[in-house]
Amino acid sequence: MRRIPKAFAVPVTGLVLVLAGCTSQTAAGSSPAASSSGGEKQQLTLAQTVDFYGWDPSNQPGFQGWAAEAVWDQLCKTDANGKAQPDLADKFEVTNGNKTFKAHIREGQKFSDGTPVDSAAVKADFDYASKNGGGQADYKGIKIETPDANNISITWPEAQGPVIDNKACNPKIMPASYLAAKKFDKPVGSGPYVLDTAASTTGSVYTFTKNENHWNAKNYPYKKLVIKVITSDTAAVSALKTGQIDAVLVAQPSVAQVEASPNTKVVKFQGQTTRLLLTDHLGKSIPAIGNLKVRQAINMVFDKAAMAKSLYQGNAEPTGQVFRKGTDAYIDGLQDPYPFDVAKAKSLMAEAGYSNGFTLNLPTMTGQNFETLMPYVTQQLAQLNIKVKQVPLTGANAIGDLLSGKYPVVLWQLGNLGNSALQIYIESTPAGWWDLMHQPDQYVDSRWKQITTADPQTAAKLQKEINQYQVDQAWFAPMVYMGTNYAYNSSKVSIPTESDQEALTPKLRDFK
Amino acid sequence: MAFSLAKRLVRSLAVFIVVTFAVFSLMYGNGTGIAHAVLGLNATPEGIQAEVVKLGLDQPLLVQYWQWLSGVAHGDLGNSFYTSESVSSALSNRVPVTLALVFLTLLLTAVLSVILGVTAAVRGGWMDRVLQFISVLGTAVPAFIIAIALVFAFAIHWRVFPATGYVSPNVSPSGWLASISLPVLALLIGAVAGAAAQFRTAVLDQLGRDYVRTLRARGIPEREIIFRNVLRNAAPPGLTALSLTVFGLLGGAVFIEQVFALPGMGQMANMAAQISDVPLVMGTVLVVVVIVLVVNFAGDLAITFLNPKARTR
Repeated sequence: MRRIPKAFAVPVTGLVLVLAGCTSQTAAGSSPAASSSGGEKQQLTLAQTVDFYGWDPSNQPGFQGWAAEAVWDQLCKTDANGKAQPDLADKFEVTNGNKTFKAHIREGQKFSDGTPVDSAAVKADFDYASKNGGGQADYKGIKIETPDANNISITWPEAQGPVIDNKACNPKIMPASYLAAKKFDKPVGSGPYVLDTAASTTGSVYTFTKNENHWNAKNYPYKKLVIKVITSDTAAVSALKTGQIDAVLVAQPSVAQVEASPNTKVVKFQGQTTRLLLTDHLGKSIPAIGNLKVRQAINMVFDKAAMAKSLYQGNAEPTGQVFRKGTDAYIDGLQDPYPFDVAKAKSLMAEAGYSNGFTLNLPTMTGQNFETLMPYVTQQLAQLNIKVKQVPLTGANAIGDLLSGKYPVVLWQLGNLGNSALQIYIESTPAGWWDLMHQPDQYVDSRWKQITTADPQTAAKLQKEINQYQVDQAWFAPMVYMGTNYAYNSSKVSIPTESDQEALTPKLRDFK
Repeated sequence: MAFSLAKRLVRSLAVFIVVTFAVFSLMYGNGTGIAHAVLGLNATPEGIQAEVVKLGLDQPLLVQYWQWLSGVAHGDLGNSFYTSESVSSALSNRVPVTLALVFLTLLLTAVLSVILGVTAAVRGGWMDRVLQFISVLGTAVPAFIIAIALVFAFAIHWRVFPATGYVSPNVSPSGWLASISLPVLALLIGAVAGAAAQFRTAVLDQLGRDYVRTLRARGIPEREIIFRNVLRNAAPPGLTALSLTVFGLLGGAVFIEQVFALPGMGQMANMAAQISDVPLVMGTVLVVVVIVLVVNFAGDLAITFLNPKARTR
C-alpha cells in the first residue's frame, strides 16, 4: 500500500488539528444560564426576524420593537387593550372633550447622559414626532403646554376619542439636544436598559445593560439583554434548540418541531384576521365590488373551518368579524351571516348580473403566507367565475403600491388590535391607511365622529354598530383568526403576561 | 511590464464603472417607494415627498451616480437610507466575516483539491471513481442543503459546533474557529468537488504528455516528476478553476450567512437589496467588484509565475 506522500501529510494533519481544535467549543455564544440573585437573572437573549432602521426615535417599529422599548421610556405605555398605563408619567388624564392629554412626569428621572427628564424634553419629542417619521399625521396641529418641569398637556385640534392614548403613548422620550442635532448614532434615553455600543454590531447583535436607576427596574429582572438579528427561520430554530437564544418568532411549519423539543414552548398569538379587504364600496375602480351582492357572494365561497384545519394546521379559528374577541367593537354571539354556501353565492352573483364573473388583480408579497392561502382563494373565487391575477409586489415599492389604492381588493393577514377604535380608524375611516380607496361612508364617518367625543360606554356601543354595519355591507370577507407563534426556552424564561395590543409578540416587560 | 500593468488597470476601471453604473441604474427611479418604506405604512404624501428630497432621490440618474462616484473617490460611500449608518462602517464590520469565510474555504479547497485531484489521477482505479462520484454529488447538492444537514448533525444532535453566530478572532480565536467551522464545511464540499475534478483532469492531461514519458525513461522518480513538473504544468487550469471558485463562494456565502446567521456582507447585501437601500447595495457591489478584479489579477500573476510561456503574452 502506498504511503501518503509527506508533502500531503502536513496540510492534512493541519486540517485535522484545526477541526479537532473546534470540538471543545460547544454551542459557542450560548445564552448564559439564568441565575437568580434577589430575583435578578443574568441575561435574556432574544432573536428578531428583521432588523430595525437605526436609532431615530420617530422611526421605530412596534413589531419586535424590543430595542426601542429597552432604551426609551414613553410618556405612557399602552396595555393589551390600548389603554394608557404609567411610564414616565405617573399620573395622567384625558380632558377637554377627548382633545387633551394631561400628564405629570415622575420626579427625579434622568436620561442615560445624566440630563434630567422634564417637560421640555417631552415637548421636544412630540414636536419632533409631528415633523418626522411615519406618524407625523397623528400629531398635526398639536399644541403643547409645559406649566412646569413635571407637568405637560398636549392638545389636539380635534377630539381623538379612544385613540388619544395610543397617540400620547407613542413618542419615545430622549433629550431635546439630540433631536435638534438629529444625532442618532446611539440612543440616549431613560429606559430600563442602556445600549452597549462596544458589544453591538448593527444588523447583527445589540447588547444592553440594565439601568438600575430605572423607576421600574424590578419589572425587568435581566441584568443583560442581547438581541440578535436572525432572518432565517431555520437558523432561528437551530439557535433556540441549541440554547443560543431564549426566544424567537417561528414560522407555522416550524411549530411542531419546536414543540417537540425539550424545554421549548410556543405561545400562539391570534392578533391577526385573515381576510379579503373589499375596499371599493362605491365601485369606482371595480364596479362589481361596488355591488353588495357581489361582496356577500365573495364572503360565502370560503370554507372557514376547512381553512383553519388544513391551511393553518388547526392554529386558527373561523370568524365572521374582523375585530378581536373581547374588544369594544366585537359583537358577542354574532352568527356569521355568510356561511359557506357556493350555490347561494353563485345565485347572488347572478342576481347582481355578474354570473360571468370578472377579473381581479390580487397583490402578493413575501412573508404573508400567500404560498398557502392564494391557491385556495384563487380556486374558490374561480367558482364564481372571478379570475384572480396575482400581482407580486417586491422591493421598496411594495408597501407603497399595496396602500396606493391601485389594488382595491387585497388578501391580507391584517392585525386585529386590542384597541378596536384604533382598528376602525385605520381600516374604515377615509384617513386610515388600510382604507385603501379612502372612500367616505356617511354611516361609518358619522359614528366615528361621535366616538371621538363620546364616553367609553357610548364609544363601545358605536363601535359595535360600525362592526355590524361592516358585516351587513360585507366590507371585508373575514376568514379566520390566526397569528404568530412565539417560541421560547421555558426552562429559562417565562412569559406570564401579554402586553402587546397588536398581539403579535410579547413586549420586553412581559419577559420574566 | 509597466505598460501591461497600466493596461490592466484601465481595463479594471472600465469594468468597475460599467458594473456599478449598471447596478445603480437598476435601482434608480424608486425614490417614492424607498421613502415610503423608510417612513412606514402610515406616512403621508407630504412626508414621503420630503423624505425623497432629503435622501436626494429626486435628482436625475447621472447626477446621483456622479455624486456616489465622487464620494467613493474621496472615501465616502454614503449612509444607509434606513439606519443612517455609514456604509464604510457597516462594511468594515461585515466584510471581514465574509472574507474569512470565503478565503478560509478557498485555502482548504486548494489544499484538498490538489491532494484529491493528484491522488485520483495518479492512482486511478476506485479512488478515481470515488472522486468522480463525489464531484457530481458535491456539485449537484446546493451548499445551503449541506449546511442544514451539518447544523442538524453537528450542532443540534451532537452539539459539537454552534448552530449560528459569529465570534470575532479578536474576541476569541478558538471561538472564531468554532463559529466558522460548519459554514466553511458547507461551502467546502461543493468547492472541492468542482476544483478537485479540474485538477484531476489537468494532471491526467499532463501525465499523458511526451515529456513525462521522457522523464520516466530517464529514471527520474515518479514523485519528482509529479511535484516538479506535472503539477507546475497542470497549475494554470487548476488556478483558473480556483479563481472561479472564489466567485462561486461569494455567491454561496449569501445563503450560508443566512443559515448560520453570520453578520457578513452577503446577509447585508440581501437585506439591502430587498429594501432598495441603494448606498448599502452599492457599497457591497464595490467590494465584490474589487475582490473579483484582485482575484483575477492574482490568478494571472500566479499563472505567469508558474508558466514562463505565459509571460511572453
